[in-house]
Amino acid sequence: MSRTIPITLMLAVALAIAAATAPAAEAPTRDEYVAGLEKICKPDAEATQRAMKGARGDIRAERFDAAAKKFARATAIFGANVREISAEPRPAADAERLSKWFTYLKRQESYLGQITAQLRQDHPTKALRLIQRFIHTGNQANNVVLAFGFHWCSFEFSRYG
Amino acid sequence: MRRLLLALVVLAGLTAATASGERAQRGNLIVTLDGGFAPQALPRDRPAPVSVQLKAGLRTTDSTTLPRVTRVELGIPGQGAITTRGLPTCTARRLRNTTTAGALEACRAALIGSGKMVAQVKIPSQPAFPVHARLLAFNGKVHGQRAVIVHGLALRPPTVVVLPFLIHLRPGKFGTVLTAHLPPNLGPWPRFARFEMDFHRRYVYRGRERSYISASCPLPPRVPLGIFSFAKATFTLADGRRISKGIARSCHAR
Repeated sequence: MSRTIPITLMLAVALAIAAATAPAAEAPTRDEYVAGLEKICKPDAEATQRAMKGARGDIRAERFDAAAKKFARATAIFGANVREISAEPRPAADAERLSKWFTYLKRQESYLGQITAQLRQDHPTKALRLIQRFIHTGNQANNVVLAFGFHWCSFEFSRYG
Repeated sequence: MRRLLLALVVLAGLTAATASGERAQRGNLIVTLDGGFAPQALPRDRPAPVSVQLKAGLRTTDSTTLPRVTRVELGIPGQGAITTRGLPTCTARRLRNTTTAGALEACRAALIGSGKMVAQVKIPSQPAFPVHARLLAFNGKVHGQRAVIVHGLALRPPTVVVLPFLIHLRPGKFGTVLTAHLPPNLGPWPRFARFEMDFHRRYVYRGRERSYISASCPLPPRVPLGIFSFAKATFTLADGRRISKGIARSCHAR
């Protein structure tokens, strides 16, 4: 018994050290991070483009139900994408900036959900004002990570119909 | 003269978003694009005269010399109209080697806009310095094709540049595209940094008032606000890279 306690302690200390040093060892460089995220974002951005095709035309033609379905699909894609990329290890030096970026992305996801709801309730004007906010927030998000040079992970309004 | 359905567009709102323009970055190079039109409230069912402003620029994040741009492409959507019927044209030849006053004297009747440009000049063994130029835009034709002919005059050092932007129509969100090739005879030293242009021209032809650019906000009665892809700027660099940015704006239907 007297021998097992020190061994357990040593194991615990070793595990604690390993746990503390593991994230630092796994933290990617910014280039690695961008490359990893772009691989995730590309299929989602393309899926968004497909899902949103004709949505603006639907609104102009007062087909709000059809537009709502497209926005609902885009919301699901966007939300899943944000969850997936937010789980990726982040470069330590960019932690604060990325945290701000994810705040904007989550705000965008919320706007997409609200746009869908307003279209379902046949409130196009409210939906369009929310689209303006969605775009504005997307531009803010882009500015935060401008230096990362994202393509697929950056916000492009042209992908939304 | 022809009247072509063009792509114009939309805009307004998003004031905060457009305060410094939207940006994109590739490597150490940042492209910015901003713009809008006035008035923002437009008829739903017919085009009305508008003025359009576009600002675009390039800069580096580390203050290194800008790369040489060989081609500039500006795309705008197809919900408006560019009307040149009855509007006089000017040629690049008439503008070459003229001052701003001289250009106006030669082609005032074809004037469709004005603006300014900043270029960076990098002479070997010297620090880069900016050159500021005043721009005038004229309605023109190049080899029978509609064009916007831009005349730029810088005073220090004295330089005149005449650059035709050819107008193409093509399918897609940005159905009207203005393209300019920056000729190699500009030399390796001047590097495009940024420009801003306002396009606005009202004129009378056969007793009817016309506008070089018109736009509508084609929305159903219940929808007062529309959001559109308004413009896209693409710069092609001497090393073959391309960097572009698109912007969205909104219009109010009246």
